[in-house]
Amino acid sequence: MTHDDGLPNDPEGIRLMIHALVDGELDAAAALAVERRIAADPRLAAEHARIVALQGAVSRLPRPDVSDAFRARIASIGMAGTERQAPVEAEPQRGTPSTLPGLIAGAGGGQRREAGTRPSQARPSPRARRFGSFDWRAMAASIMISAVLASGATQWVMQSGVDDGFAAAVASGHRRSLLAASPIDIVSSDRHTVKPWLDARIGVSPPAPDLAQDGYALIGGRVEVISGRPVPALVYRHREHLITLVAEPQQGGKTTQPDDLSSGGFSMVHWSDGAFSYWAISDMERPELDDFVARFRKAAV
Amino acid sequence: MSERALAERFNEVVLPHLGDALALARWLTGNAADAEDVVQDACIKAHAGISGYAGGNARAWLLTIVRNTSYTWMARNRPRAMMAVGDLGDLDDMAAAHGTSMPDEDGPEASLIAKADTAALEAAIAALPQPFRETLVLRDINGMSYREISAMLAVPIGTVMSRLARARGLLASELGRAS
Repeated sequence: MTHDDGLPNDPEGIRLMIHALVDGELDAAAALAVERRIAADPRLAAEHARIVALQGAVSRLPRPDVSDAFRARIASIGMAGTERQAPVEAEPQRGTPSTLPGLIAGAGGGQRREAGTRPSQARPSPRARRFGSFDWRAMAASIMISAVLASGATQWVMQSGVDDGFAAAVASGHRRSLLAASPIDIVSSDRHTVKPWLDARIGVSPPAPDLAQDGYALIGGRVEVISGRPVPALVYRHREHLITLVAEPQQGGKTTQPDDLSSGGFSMVHWSDGAFSYWAISDMERPELDDFVARFRKAAV
Repeated sequence: MSERALAERFNEVVLPHLGDALALARWLTGNAADAEDVVQDACIKAHAGISGYAGGNARAWLLTIVRNTSYTWMARNRPRAMMAVGDLGDLDDMAAAHGTSMPDEDGPEASLIAKADTAALEAAIAALPQPFRETLVLRDINGMSYREISAMLAVPIGTVMSRLARARGLLASELGRAS
């Protein structure tokens, strides 16, 4: 039996996809495709049920208590430092390599620590408290969408010529990320998760309004590297379509109205609001993308 | 950064994640008492390295230290247990050769797994080969993503996935057999 939904057709591959589904590692499109497979195949449904049951059982296992005595012991390690520790190299961003070495702006420092900090120990189940995980991105989503996009984007880049290197980079970045199975580094519909995540990575984050009520759900963000610079990108979903919104920070930028850069069956709109220069790209129809852009601009003010 | 600021940062970065740190160490060392020792060692290391914490995911940063400390501690205090680990490459080959998740026959009913008692499940997890166990614990107990686990273990995501599937497959058949 073969399928044209882009998912792996071998039994092992599809099993891994079911695990990924249960683990919340798939995007909406891939999750949908895997769910369809499950619905159509009782053996896959049984496997899915087993994984869910097992994960539930494991997550209900009692967790070790953090006793007050133990907490105090650990806290005293921190205190000890104030008395004896010699002043260390006082450069907070050195040392552990970050995702993008050398690109951590000082501006992100403050928010970063807040973002990584939880005041209390008490937290709900492991799944709920995942700190905006870097999601492995749907192998399947990529396979599925890249079939369309890869051709579309290639065509786009070629047809549009090289008069706008940045736009071409946005398009090829979009395509590459889909092929690399990581269109989203952080999956979250909560802008209060996405923004600190971007802040922590590259020290900037664009406005990230959730437009779910308008039919455009924020599903996550990622870092694009374009012309050697990291730029934040947001990912929205509209029905079955993904919209990548790349936001390049502007220095004393000008405001420009949306400009249509669509080509080759691929829609792209570019505009600037003074703080960021935006590039929205999608395989949606142009009027729909325009609608998204209008709503985003309205909400992002 | 002042010493005071470093101390504050330690409190902010480390203290909120002690529960996760203990849970991980408990499964890597095998018991809760050893876990406290390991986490304490890990926190001393974390404190020494706190000025190098570059922001981002504090929990993943701390858990990486806890994991490394657990294995150092095990090598020193439980050398026999470490010998049983075997060669990781062999295990991954084995996983690949036998299919990652399940043998050919179907696994037990989901309802059977859901009913498994705590002791049986804990014993089954403890019996998993170490690379499978740590992957399962990082995912299902610590709630880390595939990407985070892949970065922590320095293995490709595909390996994380196959180890996880293999671990769950082993647990499921073990629980099915036990009941």
